[in-house]
Amino acid sequence: MNWGLMLKAAREMWPATLMCGGLLFGVETVMAYVLPTFQAQFSNGMLQIEFVQSLVGAMLGVDASEAMGPQAFMAFPWVHPVVLSLIWAHAMICCTRMPAGEIDRGTIDLTLTLPVTRWTVLRSETIVWIAAGAIVLLSGFAGYMLGRSFVGPDSRPDIGRTLIVLANCFCLYLAVGGLAWCVSACFDRRGPALAVMFMILLASFLLNFLGPFWDVADRLSFLGPLHYYLPMVILRDGVIPWNNLAVLLTVAALLWTAAGIIFNRRDICTV
Amino acid sequence: MSILETESLTRHYGARRGIEAVNLSVREGSLFGFLGPNGAGKTTTIRVLLGLLSPSSGGAKIFGLDCWHQSSQIKHEVGYIPGDVRLHSWLDGNTALKLWGRIRRRDLLPEGRRLADRFSLDLSVKVRKMSRGMRQKLGLILALAHRPRLLILDEPTVTLDPLMQATFLEHLRELASAGHTVFFSSHTLAEVESLCDRVAMIRDGKIVANESLAELRAHAGHEVTIRWREPLAVGIAPPPALSITTREPLLWHGRLDGPLEPFIAWLAGKPVEDLHLGRPDLEALFRHFYAPQDAA
Repeated sequence: MNWGLMLKAAREMWPATLMCGGLLFGVETVMAYVLPTFQAQFSNGMLQIEFVQSLVGAMLGVDASEAMGPQAFMAFPWVHPVVLSLIWAHAMICCTRMPAGEIDRGTIDLTLTLPVTRWTVLRSETIVWIAAGAIVLLSGFAGYMLGRSFVGPDSRPDIGRTLIVLANCFCLYLAVGGLAWCVSACFDRRGPALAVMFMILLASFLLNFLGPFWDVADRLSFLGPLHYYLPMVILRDGVIPWNNLAVLLTVAALLWTAAGIIFNRRDICTV
Repeated sequence: MSILETESLTRHYGARRGIEAVNLSVREGSLFGFLGPNGAGKTTTIRVLLGLLSPSSGGAKIFGLDCWHQSSQIKHEVGYIPGDVRLHSWLDGNTALKLWGRIRRRDLLPEGRRLADRFSLDLSVKVRKMSRGMRQKLGLILALAHRPRLLILDEPTVTLDPLMQATFLEHLRELASAGHTVFFSSHTLAEVESLCDRVAMIRDGKIVANESLAELRAHAGHEVTIRWREPLAVGIAPPPALSITTREPLLWHGRLDGPLEPFIAWLAGKPVEDLHLGRPDLEALFRHFYAPQDAA
């Protein structure tokens, strides 16, 4: 770990962190405020339609034909595609910056001719990225809490359960980031690295979404990270999904280690 | 004592040639020129030395340490500047010096400011607002500010104006006289000739010469120009060591390979009006080394 490298990484990551954190704060505030007002009519009306049940079930990862109480309904702000897109975008922006982004810009030449090992570079960048990711998710949490404060006490989700959702979301963020490090370590250009990440995440999202409608997708859904992210179950039952957290963290650690090994062994060509 | 050594250093890019069996030895405190045209393998060699590329075979050592496996240790005492410096656009000179200082764990600001004065660079300007020349100057300052034992320079003066080139080369001479070593890659032959005491030439990935400038010139012979008072009689041929490139009735021009005495003896009694004998400059040496390739 090197303070200079961490400062450099922080300076590079703050615009994306500010943007994603700010947007997530706004989106969560609006959703946490607006959704409870629809909860009753949604549960009594829309959720009686079978197609809507499947659609909601696909989004939340649970059977939506069951009565959906206020607690479970408040899972929406954590699974909405806009929210997931913002969180994943931040992970992708930060984690494809080094080495793919720096090779692309040619700035890695001077970075790697400083007296630091490539592992030190990766570790320093990773520490800053994890801190930046925590800031983004905490911004979302703050927005969620702000929006929640404007609704009636019956519609307010339990803070403890919401924090578990946040932990699950952070583990998902780390897994996506680990994948992004790994992809980034294999590429010389940031554009293709981002494109590959986008394709993988889209496939994962579709796999999870199509699971309830298509058996093949259902059988393969365990391969996608969203399979291990179930905010509605957490908010409804209040249990900590240790297995899911462990899977996501293990995947993140393995992919990050693979990224480090690849980065450490690869040639750096900027010309 | 050699500060930088490569032994049969080879690097291929798949089927494409990079460098082939490059052997170099750079003495501490020397100004070492590394010459070659574009695509000859200069940058590949430098990138292997800096641990950015792994060698396909052979090895490279700086300060006795392996350039691939012990790269980070080596770089404490190495400064590097590429021909086209690319820096983060949000940096300015002061921030860059502070950041580089933190990474190197030493205060680079005093020396950096001194160098900025010498190279006439405003350290408060953001990189995004700098011209290429200004960026190059900042790169030079960042490479020099920690006063490295070894400077590796890859065509560093390409974007500098002539006045700044002169200032920079003067600074390098001062560093060398203070015991620092300079590895200077260039295809600007004049600056290498004016700066370096030893030169290696690389062509098609292979070292074709690795000698002192004096040795190199001696091997390349003499440039000869003879102005005759009257045309020579038909049938008088030049001596075998003299290769004539221009032959007019009253003017011969060519290159003499070999000792001078037989040539002087051959001239005796001939109607010589004027004779010019000189060492070829590096440009001519370079052409000499590239002649077979060019001819092909």
